[in-house]
This record gives sequence, C-alpha cells and structure tokens, in this order.
Amino acid sequence: MNTREAIHTFVEKTDGWVAAQLEACTRCGICAEACPFYQATGKPEFAPVWKVELLRRTYQQKFTLAGRLRTGLGLQRKVEDEDLVEWSKIVYEACTVCNRCAMACPMGIQLGPLLDEVRAGLAAAGVVPEDIMVAVRKQINQGSPLGVTDQVFEERLEWVADEWDVSIPIDKEGAETLVVFSSIEIMKFPQSIADIVRILDAAGENWTLSRKGREGINWGIYEGNAEHTKLFVKRVLDAAEELGVRRIMITECGNAYDALRWTAPNLVRVPAGLEITHIVGMLGEYVRSGRIKLKAGAADGDGVITFHDACKIQRRGGLIEEPRQILNVIAPNSFREMSPNKEAAICCGGGGGVAAIKTADPYRYAVFGLKLAQIRAAQADTVVMACANCRLQFLDGLAHFNSNVKVRSLSEMVVGALG
Amino acid sequence: MDWNSFLRFVRGPLFEASLLVFVAGLAYRLLRVVTLGWARNRAPAAGSRVVGVGRSYAKGVIAWPFIPWVKDTFRGNAVTYLAGGLFHLGLFVVILLGTAHMLAWKSLLGFGWPTLSPSIVDFLAAGAIVAMIALLINRFSHPVVRKLTGPAELLNWLVVFLAMVTGYMMTHHLFFRYEVLFGLHMVAVDVLLIWIPFSAIPHFVFYFFSRTIHGVEHGRRAVTP
Amino acid sequence: MREETIYEHLQREGVSRREFIKYCGMVAGAMGLWATPVLSESARLFGNPDLIGEVIRALETKPRLPIIWLEFQDCAGCTEALTRSQSPTFVDLVLNKISIDYHETLFAAAGFQAEEARQRAMQAYAGRYVLVVEGSIPTGARGVYCTVGGRSAVNILKEAAAGATAIIATGNCAAFGGIPKAKPDPTEAKGVWEIVTDKPVVNIPGCPAIPEVTAGTIARFLVFGTLPELDDLNRPKTFYGTTIHDQCLRRHFYDAGKFAGTFDDEGARNGWCLYKLGCKGPTTYNACPAIKWDGGLSFPIQSGHPCLGCSQPDFWDGGGFYQAQSVPLDRPTLEAVGIAAGVGALVGAGVAVANRSQKKRANEPEAETTGRD
Repeated sequence: MNTREAIHTFVEKTDGWVAAQLEACTRCGICAEACPFYQATGKPEFAPVWKVELLRRTYQQKFTLAGRLRTGLGLQRKVEDEDLVEWSKIVYEACTVCNRCAMACPMGIQLGPLLDEVRAGLAAAGVVPEDIMVAVRKQINQGSPLGVTDQVFEERLEWVADEWDVSIPIDKEGAETLVVFSSIEIMKFPQSIADIVRILDAAGENWTLSRKGREGINWGIYEGNAEHTKLFVKRVLDAAEELGVRRIMITECGNAYDALRWTAPNLVRVPAGLEITHIVGMLGEYVRSGRIKLKAGAADGDGVITFHDACKIQRRGGLIEEPRQILNVIAPNSFREMSPNKEAAICCGGGGGVAAIKTADPYRYAVFGLKLAQIRAAQADTVVMACANCRLQFLDGLAHFNSNVKVRSLSEMVVGALG
Repeated sequence: MDWNSFLRFVRGPLFEASLLVFVAGLAYRLLRVVTLGWARNRAPAAGSRVVGVGRSYAKGVIAWPFIPWVKDTFRGNAVTYLAGGLFHLGLFVVILLGTAHMLAWKSLLGFGWPTLSPSIVDFLAAGAIVAMIALLINRFSHPVVRKLTGPAELLNWLVVFLAMVTGYMMTHHLFFRYEVLFGLHMVAVDVLLIWIPFSAIPHFVFYFFSRTIHGVEHGRRAVTP
Repeated sequence: MREETIYEHLQREGVSRREFIKYCGMVAGAMGLWATPVLSESARLFGNPDLIGEVIRALETKPRLPIIWLEFQDCAGCTEALTRSQSPTFVDLVLNKISIDYHETLFAAAGFQAEEARQRAMQAYAGRYVLVVEGSIPTGARGVYCTVGGRSAVNILKEAAAGATAIIATGNCAAFGGIPKAKPDPTEAKGVWEIVTDKPVVNIPGCPAIPEVTAGTIARFLVFGTLPELDDLNRPKTFYGTTIHDQCLRRHFYDAGKFAGTFDDEGARNGWCLYKLGCKGPTTYNACPAIKWDGGLSFPIQSGHPCLGCSQPDFWDGGGFYQAQSVPLDRPTLEAVGIAAGVGALVGAGVAVANRSQKKRANEPEAETTGRD
C-alpha cells in the first residue's frame, strides 16, 4: 500500500469545487439519515460525512494554515496506513454512490462525487477490495468484467438471435445509433436483448452493436481509477467514431450511463456531435412521438405493479418521468408508486461495486430489506426497473428474503404491450 | 479596570479590531477556496442549470434547509432539524430584526429597517438558547453526530452560546448590573467575531457555494434538487 | 469660646422651634427618602425609628459645618444649579443655614482678599472643614492650564485636601474629568480622586450634579460625621444606587418596544422610550427620575430628551448624545475594512496558490487534468 499516493491524489483532486463543499459541511450528520447503508445497519461509520472524512482531513492538514501548523507540531495525526484500510472497507463495501445523501444535506453537498474522490485516492494507494480488482482486471484483459470476450459476445448474440428469432447487426456500416449492452444483460438476461431489439425495430431505429464497444459497464468507476475509466469509455467512444454513428444508446444499465453520459466528457474528448442516450429516454421519445404504440392496459390484470428508480438512471440520470408515462399507459389500473421514489428513491443496495464484494453481503441484504419494506407497503406483486444490475440485486435479495414478488425490466413491459 | 472602562474597551477598540479580524479572516477563507481553481464540466446539460439553482435556493434558503425534504430522514435526527431550525430562526430574527442590533447595523451600513416587537424577538431568542442546549446534548447522544464532534465543534458551540446567553441576560437584567452584562455580551461578541474565521462557522458563506453547486448538478441532470 | 450650635445659630436668625423641627424633618428625609429600596444604607436609615430624633440632636449639638468650595476647570454650572434652587428649600437650608462656606464664585470679595479669606478658614478649621471641589484639574504641561493667583490647580487642591476632614467632588468634571476630558483631552484633565489618593473622595457626578444630592450628602456628613456608603465609583449609593432606566417613567414603553424614532414623530409626541434617540439611561446611575430638577419639576427624559449619561465617566465620549447605546463606540472606517478585506484576500489567494503548486507536485506527469463529474 502506498499511503503517500492516496494523499497526493486527495490533494490533486481538491479544487475549488471540492474545497467549497468541504468548507460548507457543519458536521450535522443529516446525510446519514438518507443513507440506506446507515439506515439499514445503524453503523455510524457508514454515515456519508464519515466516509469522506479522509478527504476532509487531508484538506485540513495540507491546505489550511492551522492544519499545517498542528500536524507540523505533532498535535494531530497524519493520514496513515490503518486509515486507508479502515476507509477502504466503508467506502467500497457500504456505499453504492447513490447520492441520496446529497439530497438530504441541508447545505446540498455532493457527497457522492466527493466519495468518488476518496475512492480515487484509495485506488492510487492500491487499497481496493480484491473482488473489485478481479473484475477490473477482467475488463482490462478480456473487455468485460463477466468475461464477455469478442468471441463470447458473438456466440452469445448468435444464440439470442436464433432463440428469439431476431436480427442483431454487429458493426453495421451506415447505422445511426450504436447500441451498447452491459455484459449483465448479455450473460444473465439474454431475453432483455431480444426485447430491446424488438423495440428498436418497431421504432424503426437504424442501429447496430459493436464488437469493440460491446461493454457499457465501467469498473474503472467502481474502482475509482481514472485511467481505467478512461480506457473503458474509450473503447466505446472509439467504436462510435469508427462506425460514424450519430448517437450511442446505453441499454438497461445505470453505471454505463453514468460512465458515458456524465463522466466520459470530462476525461476524454467525446467526438463532436455524438449524442449519449439511454434506452429509458429513448423509450419515452418513441412513445411521445408515436414511433411505437402501446396498447393501453396491456399489463393490467396481473396484480399491483410498482416501479423501482435506479440511482444512476433516475436520480443521477434524470430519466424519471418516462417510466411513469409508459406504465400509466400500459397499466393504468395496476401501477402504484413506492414511497419514497423518483429522485428521493432508496437504492437497491447492489450498485457501486458492492454486489461484487462478498464481505459486503450482510450490508447489501440489509439495504435490500428497506427496499422490500417499501414494496410490501405498496402491496406490489411486481416491481419494474430499468437497470440490469438492480435486477440482479432484486432477484438475489428477494430469494434471500423468500419473497414471491416478481421482477420485470421496463423493456420487457414495453415489448409485452407493443401494439 | 472597573466595569465602565471594560465596557468602553469592549465596545470601542476591541470591537473595531474584532470586526477587522472578522472581515480579513472571511476574505482569507473565501479566497483560499475560490483561488484553488474550478474545472469546467464538459458533459452537456440535460436540463436548465439556472432552474436547478433557483429550485435549490427556494428549498434551501427561502423555505429553509431545516425542512426534511427527503422522506424518512426526520425521525433519526429530529433534534438537528428542529433545534437547528429554531436556532437559526432565532439567530436571524435577533440579530437582524431586534431593535438594538438593527441600530448597530445602521451605524455600520448607513441605513436601518423596521424591526419586530421585543416580545417576539425575546421569545425566539429564548427558543434559540434552548435549541442550542438541545443541539449540544445531541452532539453527545446521537451516534453519528458524536463521531463528528471534537474540540473544534464544542468551541464553536461555546462562543455562539455565550454571545446569545449574555445577550439574553442583558435584555432581562439578569444576575448582574446592566453595564456588567453589556460588557460581557460585547466581549462575547468580540470573541465570536474573532473566532469565526478560524472555525467552521463560515458555512454561512460556503453555503452559497454548495447550494449553487447542488442546483447546477441537479439542473444539469434534469432532476429536481 | 464654644462654637455656637446650628440650632443656636438658627434661633439667632429668628427660626422658631417648630420651624427647626420641620427643617430637621427635611434633612432626615433628604438623607434617605430618595434612596432605592434595598440598599444597606437606606435600610439602616429607614429601620431607625428615631432618625428625626438623631437629626434634631445633631443639629442641636453640633456647630455649623465649615465648607471650603474650590472651583477649577469648570463652568460653575454645579454652583449655578445650587444657587438657582428656590428658597426656602432643602438646599438653601443646608448651604445657607447649617454650614458656612468659602465659595469663590459666591464671595463678594475677589482676588487677594478672597485668597486670604480662604487661607484663614483653612487654618482656623484645619481638620474640620469639608472640601467641596467643582471642575476638573488639568495636569498637562505641569498644570499650567488652570492657575489661581499664580498657583496651579493641582497644588491648590493638594494643599486644601491636606486639611480637609472630607472631600466631595461635585459635578462630573470634579469627579471624572467631565467636558475638559473629552477627546482629545488637551489639558489632561483629571478628577479629584485621581489626584488626592490618600483620602476618600466622595463623587457627586452629574452635569450639573443634582443640587439636592450635593446638599443631601453634605447634610448626611454633618449629621452622622461619616461618609455615606459608596459604590465602586465613589458615588453615594443612596443617590446613585440605581440606573435612570430602572426608575424611568417611560420604562414600560421600552419593555413594549415602543420607541420614538425622531424628535417630533408620533412616538416622541406620545412620550415613548428614547432609546433609539440615544438615551444612556440603562448604564447611567443617578437620582434624576426620583429627585428630578428644578425642585422636582422634570428631568431630561420626562421633557422628551434622551439621558446624556452625565453622571458616568467619559460620557462626552460615549458615542454621541443621539447615538443609541447598542451602537459600537468605535467602528472601522470603510478604508480600514477595505484594507482588511484586501489583506485577507491576498493572504488567502497566496495560500491557495501555494496549495495549487502542492497539487502540481502531487500530480503525476502523464495524467490529464480532469473535469468535474
């Protein structure tokens, strides 16, 4: 472990944006009340303000005269190895970077992005949970954390095309839209691929997949490593540029949207005129413009349906109204909202890399318990969501709690109502 | 030194010095942050950042940051919401809408304004003091807040509390002669003014930064802040 | 030859026994009547059922009190206030009937004759006379700013104080320096007790001192032969034990937050509190609301003018008569504030620049500058 590197990274990352917010914090602790990990476990070290404490301490010790004086005089401890180990645990195992804390903070501090900076320091020091590094290395070497190599990609898609009788173009010249799946969909929810293909064809979209840009997921973000993040987004962006597409469409993955829509432009040069979209946004547009027609009430009659807002798609992505517009058409008598929802929704607990870390299981299930309570309060029989990782977490969590609640993807619901 | 000379000193040269330290210190804190540099966010905005900022301020200033906007955040730390809100309300009403303070502002700014009746101001002042005591207890009893409490937080509490409590005692002529209370209040205020730039109390300045950033980030992503 | 007692003197002047008893009643009342309730002195006086009897016995047996009255850097206002008191009143009784005084302003004599009269009195009554001082004593330039007959006020005072049995400083000037001491204090004016340090000096501040207060203190000394209980500014607690504020007739308006904003607005005409117009009542100790002026006619606040605080030290430098008490006495100028802000900003920017170079050193050479997510 290289603690100096961590400190250097913290220092490097602390600009006016970070410093102003560190200075604004009054140590009130309200952020903890919005954090699902703290709410589910009651552990005070899971409070978001505590998770970013390393960053604040470094700022105080390195950037303020009082801090420099006190550390110099030995009146306060510098950041040391044990600190990195301690913080690595809480920052990777007990945070999905859902940013719900930022909504509750009376000062409006963006604790999620600040926590990303903490991860950056820990990554620079090499104090990242091994489970995450395994996935990172796989993505570096094989192009996907789930091992979806070139070959696996082609074989898998061939099988999907065959199994569901759809046509899946790869690297098609002249396509307008590059569709980027996540390896979770490819490996775990192959039917979703078929569903999405059907929707795109129904909408008359001129689309293609890409071998090079086959993976939307970005484990560099979970690790907190800018170099790896850059590497992974470049694969997709280069593919888009080579294919000459006008837009990239991320499918049902929140992390991928986060990586390409909001993070990539600040790391690399995004080709001019290239639009980054998400299938939820596109679905909304297809429905509004009439490019696809939905049969009203098609999903009614099968119990209560509710919608789970995925942190990176809804709260961090802004695509909040589109799922409601769709569900209100196809299930007007069955759709019921959970509470809280929309931008204040509770995280499923599986994002941010947490689901990959075995030692984080107890926390992850505890957080899911909150979700289950919400579903039960809404008396829902089915939960719809637009993120494949949430789907994994839900399926695992529901099984863990022996629940019969059904899980559907938004695309699945749309396909079932195509008219 | 007798109480009259003490009062002259803390109302006179010490106040002037404290105010200058306050101004210099806040300018220092502000520039120390602002000059660190600001990177431009190159991700294209999906919504209006201006609207986001407007909404952020509407929720955070005009309608008060002490309303628990996010569901289920109230119960676990109700004291911070309630007492924090009551404290800030009392603080602003007393120092801006209390007649004696307004006259002090008038002498510094050149203009005054109408004030509230002393019974209302007094009630809120008492409320603020009670709130501060509740907040102090919370600092030791709430598991999260306890982790965040160190000598700096306690000192912040103390200098603010002393200023408020001496002001209250002065208004009500409690325990000591008026000129003694006046002197104690002024010295507490002077100490507070000097201490502010060295503490976390300038959150009242950085609040505008964080609130604006909050609004920009949400507006960019077309999410209601 | 035994000195004639006060009673004998009064008899000689044609005062009847009945009138004499009445006078004793006035004296007794004046010593304790306008005291604030729970002060030890007044409690003792009030608790004494035979107070009048004590006064009668004192005046029957004691000779008239010799008073030497000196004036230095003054306006003679305190004397004027005394002499303007109507007769027969308590003041008149005390100063004209039961004491003998040597008062430069009131003497018909002047110049050397007055000086000689004073010297003779000081010798004749050495150790027995009460020294009353009016006006401040300038100490700058070796005391040259106030000289009488070629001698500095400092020396005259010291000489007179040496033979006095009690020293009373009447008026704010004699007590605390008064108007001559106001900034920039060119004469380095001092109160009596700053110069006479080996004997207790009773301060009767005010601008002017309330005549009944000066006279009442003298009477008290006459009757009991001791100085009254004094506060920490050596003022008799009987008269200076409470603030104007605590006895003010407009206090309920203060408590209700009803203030006059200007001198002729509705509030002023309704008699509302004068805090905003600069009243120094809350920090001023004196007997004005109780004793009032002009034989109990009125006092500043009652007449619609804020209290000046004239019985307090440095009241001329108290921020201005029309500046509210809550206003700080010293305020930085706009230039000073600008300089402070500028210095702070510069140092802050400097530290930030130093921090930025820290960041550059921490930066790996090949990493690009990252934008904000």
